[in-house]
Amino acid sequence: MGTLFPKWMNMVPTALAMGGGVATLAVVVGTWYWATPDYFEVGYMPKQPGSGFNHQIHAGKLGIDCRYCHTKVEQSSEANIPNVATCIGCHAEERLAPAFDPKEKVSFIREAYANDASVEWRRVHKLPDYVRNFPHAAHIKAGVSCYSCHGQITAMPEVFQAEGLGMGWCLDCHRGVEKSPEKFLVPPDKVTNLFWVEQHLSTVKKGDSEAQRLFDQLRDNPPQHCGACHY
Amino acid sequence: MSHDQCPSTKGSMTPDTNRREPDRVNAGRGAKYWRSAEEYADSGEFRDFLEREFPAHASELSGPSRRSFMKVMGASFALAGAATIPGCRRPDHKILSFSRQVPEDVIPGKPLYYATSFPLPGGGAEGVVVETHEGRPTKIEGNPLHPINRGKSSVWSQASVLGLYDPDRLKQPAYQNPARGRLDASWDDFAAWSKEHFATYGANGGEGLVVLADKRSSPTRDAVRDRFLKKFPKARWFVYDAGESEGATRGVEIAFGRPGRELFSLSKAKVVVSLDRDFVEREPAALVNAREFAATRAVMGSTDEMSRLYMVESGFSHAGSLADHRLRVAPSRIGAYAIAIARAVCERIGRDAAALASAVAAASFAPGSDIDEKFIGALADDLVAAGRGNSVLMAGADQPAEVHAIVHGLNAALGNIGATVSYCQMSDDDATSSAAAIAAVAEMLGAGRVTTLLMLNVNPAYDAPASLDFAARMSKATTITLAVDANETESVSTWSLNGTHYLESWGDTVAADGTLSPVQPMIAPIYAPAHSDIELMAMLAGESVTDGHDIVKGVWKTLVGDSDKVWRRALHDGVSPKPVFAAGAWTPNMGAIAEAARRLSIGPAPSKDSLDVAFATGRMHDGRFANYAWLQELPATGTMVVWDNPALVSPATARALDLEPVGFSESDPSRMYTKPKYPHARVATLTIGGRAMQVPVWILPGMADNTVVVHQGYGRRVCGHVGGSEADPVGFNDAAIRPTGAARVASGGKLASAGGTYLIASTQNHWSMESRTAIVRAVDLAAWRKFGDVPPVLEKDHIYANTSKELSFAEKLGELGHTPPNIGIYDNPYNESKVDPKPGARYAKGPQWGMTIDLSSCTGCGTCTIACQSENNIPVVGKKETAKGREMTWIRVDRYFIGEDFNSPDAMYHQPVACVHCENAPCETVCPVNATSHGVEGTNDMTYNRCIGTRYCANNCPYKVRRFNFFDYGVTKFNGSYYGKDLMPGGGPKNVNLIPPRLREKLDEISRMKMNPDVTVRSRGVMEKCSYCIQRVNAARVETKLQGLTGIPDGFFQVACQQACPSNAITFGDVLDESSKVAKARANQRSYMLLGYLNTRPRTSHMVRVSNPNPVLRAPVEDPFHHGGHGEHHGDDSHGTDSHGSDPHGSDPHGSGGHGGSHDAGHGSGHSFFDSRKRRADEGYALSLRVLGHGAGVHA
Repeated sequence: MGTLFPKWMNMVPTALAMGGGVATLAVVVGTWYWATPDYFEVGYMPKQPGSGFNHQIHAGKLGIDCRYCHTKVEQSSEANIPNVATCIGCHAEERLAPAFDPKEKVSFIREAYANDASVEWRRVHKLPDYVRNFPHAAHIKAGVSCYSCHGQITAMPEVFQAEGLGMGWCLDCHRGVEKSPEKFLVPPDKVTNLFWVEQHLSTVKKGDSEAQRLFDQLRDNPPQHCGACHY
Repeated sequence: MSHDQCPSTKGSMTPDTNRREPDRVNAGRGAKYWRSAEEYADSGEFRDFLEREFPAHASELSGPSRRSFMKVMGASFALAGAATIPGCRRPDHKILSFSRQVPEDVIPGKPLYYATSFPLPGGGAEGVVVETHEGRPTKIEGNPLHPINRGKSSVWSQASVLGLYDPDRLKQPAYQNPARGRLDASWDDFAAWSKEHFATYGANGGEGLVVLADKRSSPTRDAVRDRFLKKFPKARWFVYDAGESEGATRGVEIAFGRPGRELFSLSKAKVVVSLDRDFVEREPAALVNAREFAATRAVMGSTDEMSRLYMVESGFSHAGSLADHRLRVAPSRIGAYAIAIARAVCERIGRDAAALASAVAAASFAPGSDIDEKFIGALADDLVAAGRGNSVLMAGADQPAEVHAIVHGLNAALGNIGATVSYCQMSDDDATSSAAAIAAVAEMLGAGRVTTLLMLNVNPAYDAPASLDFAARMSKATTITLAVDANETESVSTWSLNGTHYLESWGDTVAADGTLSPVQPMIAPIYAPAHSDIELMAMLAGESVTDGHDIVKGVWKTLVGDSDKVWRRALHDGVSPKPVFAAGAWTPNMGAIAEAARRLSIGPAPSKDSLDVAFATGRMHDGRFANYAWLQELPATGTMVVWDNPALVSPATARALDLEPVGFSESDPSRMYTKPKYPHARVATLTIGGRAMQVPVWILPGMADNTVVVHQGYGRRVCGHVGGSEADPVGFNDAAIRPTGAARVASGGKLASAGGTYLIASTQNHWSMESRTAIVRAVDLAAWRKFGDVPPVLEKDHIYANTSKELSFAEKLGELGHTPPNIGIYDNPYNESKVDPKPGARYAKGPQWGMTIDLSSCTGCGTCTIACQSENNIPVVGKKETAKGREMTWIRVDRYFIGEDFNSPDAMYHQPVACVHCENAPCETVCPVNATSHGVEGTNDMTYNRCIGTRYCANNCPYKVRRFNFFDYGVTKFNGSYYGKDLMPGGGPKNVNLIPPRLREKLDEISRMKMNPDVTVRSRGVMEKCSYCIQRVNAARVETKLQGLTGIPDGFFQVACQQACPSNAITFGDVLDESSKVAKARANQRSYMLLGYLNTRPRTSHMVRVSNPNPVLRAPVEDPFHHGGHGEHHGDDSHGTDSHGSDPHGSDPHGSGGHGGSHDAGHGSGHSFFDSRKRRADEGYALSLRVLGHGAGVHA
């Protein structure tokens, strides 16, 4: 009489247990890696209208300060997008010598200005709606450089998202700044000098007295309670 | 120190003082308190109802069965697959920059504030400051520079932003083509038509042209009117406000020879007598009155002076709820009190009042049992004793002019004119009679003498008394109607023109005290082109200047001078430096008053077959605010009814007429709630002078018997999603029976059952802190004088309200007076201790936010609720949802009746309750996902995106302040009914709640514009509650950091409710900052923690209400601590054994109702706040009292 279950069936529970373990591990590791903002947010680079805006040329090569265009960032929670008139300030037709005039590249700006229309820039960095009013001004005042969240913008021909902007990432700084302020704080007058900042942050030593002084200047620790951002 | 700090059991109180005369159970200081008939009877079934944190049916889908639910959902499941795929992509989010024109002041992300003024309906104005986000007005605040507002605001101005973003606004002109019906048109069409049409009037001087405009105090409109009438000299001009009560104006005219407004300086008055006047609500100077009166009531030290308010009224008003002595008298009989008081006062001041004495000698009134001689005598004594110029008398808006005239005479005789009362001129338009105007226009229309009727912001087709038959007569003329919202009049007019809201037009206003303010636009007309009334008139008159700005500026040249600097300054401040009128002390003409008094004849008291019917204006005024959902859902005074205007009668009258609510019976009123599922009113026919209307009848304890109060402004037929439509009106239109004359009170009304029932949504039993005691606390001034001193300071303790371990006076009134010090089992992590924060602990570092609400000043107006709703994007839920207990308002104003007599409660108390931000928060410990947690500054924060909607927190909250989004109220088109998209299969389910979220119409773009961008709009399945306006806290923190301040100074920002509160009852700030207002208020002896004995350590404290009774009328309770509850050993001889036996007012029909049978005379019925019957429900607590009573053993 034949056996109901062949002998190899004895292997099945073991295989299932091991396979299940591997599968669980795969799910956990997979979620850990792929299902976080660090994977699916970082590198987001939407197509900007017209020929876009080249930060590498403007902020990098030409050395225009961030605040020339992103006005009021020191006063408001928003880092304002420049109005078309700001672009035209340099790119008016009569402004540049014909040899230097990137004609077709800025035509969309000139057209918008002529029609008193907006340019539909695409937003790169976006926090969810349940995070209210990330206060740019407060961070700049405290000495957090643009570089810390937006990366080396001055080297980006097209801006992409450099950091995940997840809550854990925010808290890394809000929690870590007390222990190692040198990783996050720079003198407020250097905040928008991204070359300097990049170099500084890569060379600064732990326990840097300047960073400690900057930290001590803060009125209170960066908030870590839910109500600081969610309301 | 003994655990029991109640002075009645402490050694300091000798047994002699305990052995006093039997308890006086009166005026709330010893009587039970209740919110509704059901609570009054306190049946078992009703307690079941309350014990659920949401009413039994709140979490159920009503209507269709589960089967039909699956059927409907099936359709949406099928659609789900296709719809979710694009969801994986990150949406393309555009940022639009400014282009060429860059507004200089706009900083994206920061609101701007502009001053303007809000024209109050019927004249007068409020000065407001409007918060705009990138040019979009979102929130109205009071203007601190405006003398009426002083930074405060009313429910109307707060809600007026809804009018701007009303999806039912008129979007373009429409023309009623005789052949083709109503056609959409444009302003160009109208301009072409009117040029031709008005050419004939230019030729004949305006013969047959009639203008009917809304009543408004505006010098610019007056100037434009004059120019218009100059162009068309034979045209007739009328102003009309259906909600107008002209008695006051006519009364001033009689007494002083010219019309005017009374202005009170209540802060200087020691005795205030109001004859049916709700002086803190709905009058042009109500905000001033509320502010000044509250200032005389909020005693901070035990020796502070306090005013006394006597109220004689027919309904139960906000002012009535503040009264120290209150009589309920039918409206037609109030005049008798004016006469009797005048006589009694004249008797007492003798020679000085000879003129008044002879004047009132001419008056007469029919005697009746409702005239309380003792009350009048005591009142007159008090008035005279207060001294000349120290009192105020006032007559109600609905009283006839003659009563007002007598009151003016009284004020003169008592020397009040010039001291506490002054008079201010009013504009010609304001002084005219609306009733006469509408009657005249109707008559002219009927006689065919009107060829063109121009109507500016009025709605007579809806609100004119039905007997005038205005809508039908309108068709005899060519009609042109300018309106902001869709309404009954424009819908049948030849031309319907879309007007501009006050937030998008130029104009000006004159406040009650003569202050001139500009109206400036915050935003260009949303449905441009649109024009304001002055622009339209200028256009029709063919003027060269037709732009609102230029018209106003031109008129202001003559008013304030031709200076651009002054004009710009006025626009900035919102107030012109030069008032139009100045208030002054006018001299009354006693002869004229005597003449008027002779005319006055007060008939006998009404009976159940001949009722007094009073036509009151509620929050809708004449109906113009009917489409403002916030106001519809704000519980009405006294009844707490929302979305409706049932006819109100007293419970006794309802019984006599057999019109009590369905299921209601004296023995078991709870059947009202538990039997028919939701309360239902009986429908009756109300008849006056041969005209009848059907209306549901609802009871309001404390109203005068045989009196019916009907509120105006409901039953709109052409209004909108909120205010109602022909198919689905909200409430009933009283115009059907309203008399045509100026009188607001009609006698001889009849109310008879018409059969049928009607759903009433009332919030009075929602969010009950049932089975808890000592919730609302009040004492008499005598007790405050005796115990209100600051106790010895033993130990610093900021957080816990008092500055010492010794309990404050107010705390001793509650359970804490009987319990050991409140010490938890566990350390509070932020305090690092079981009690108060340790030095160095997080909560020992400022700022630590806290709030105090003063029950002495609270008038119960509900402005805090609306301000909160506006600031925090709180949705409305509609009538049916409210009936289920799903209303969303974060701060509610609880209303308690006090007293043993259900028909005639002694008083009404108001208690605003929002999240109290407990340090030991019960909600936090039960949240499975940590969606609610504590912040380092003491706020209890809600993280909406974490919430999974278990509602455990709401269950565990003893204050019942958490609100749950059962449906997508906030983001879907919803005003009590969801609007399904067209693709709903078969027209959609009967129960609108069953429309799947995907298929619900999203909010119109325009409705979304009113949202505050600083606060999340919550969606379905999320719990929410008061956040202490954390968006403002955070903004203030960032701002102070940017400015380099070391902390947030006291008063740097205000929370929304505090900012709006007209009577300054709400204080907010850092409780650790000793110099802050809130720290001082919390340290005050009147401060107590609501349900503090639960050791929740709330950050919001309440302050005991103090009453100032006249000892002649009611002996004040000097010792509020006398009560039972200390165990049997003294419960039987000294406390509360004979609570009712010899009540000195047992025979007094009006005063304190100390003659109900108490259900539990033994324990506690003599105590201020222990409702003994409620204590029964809290057995554990009762047990602890018994144990402690024996343990304390201090009692001699």
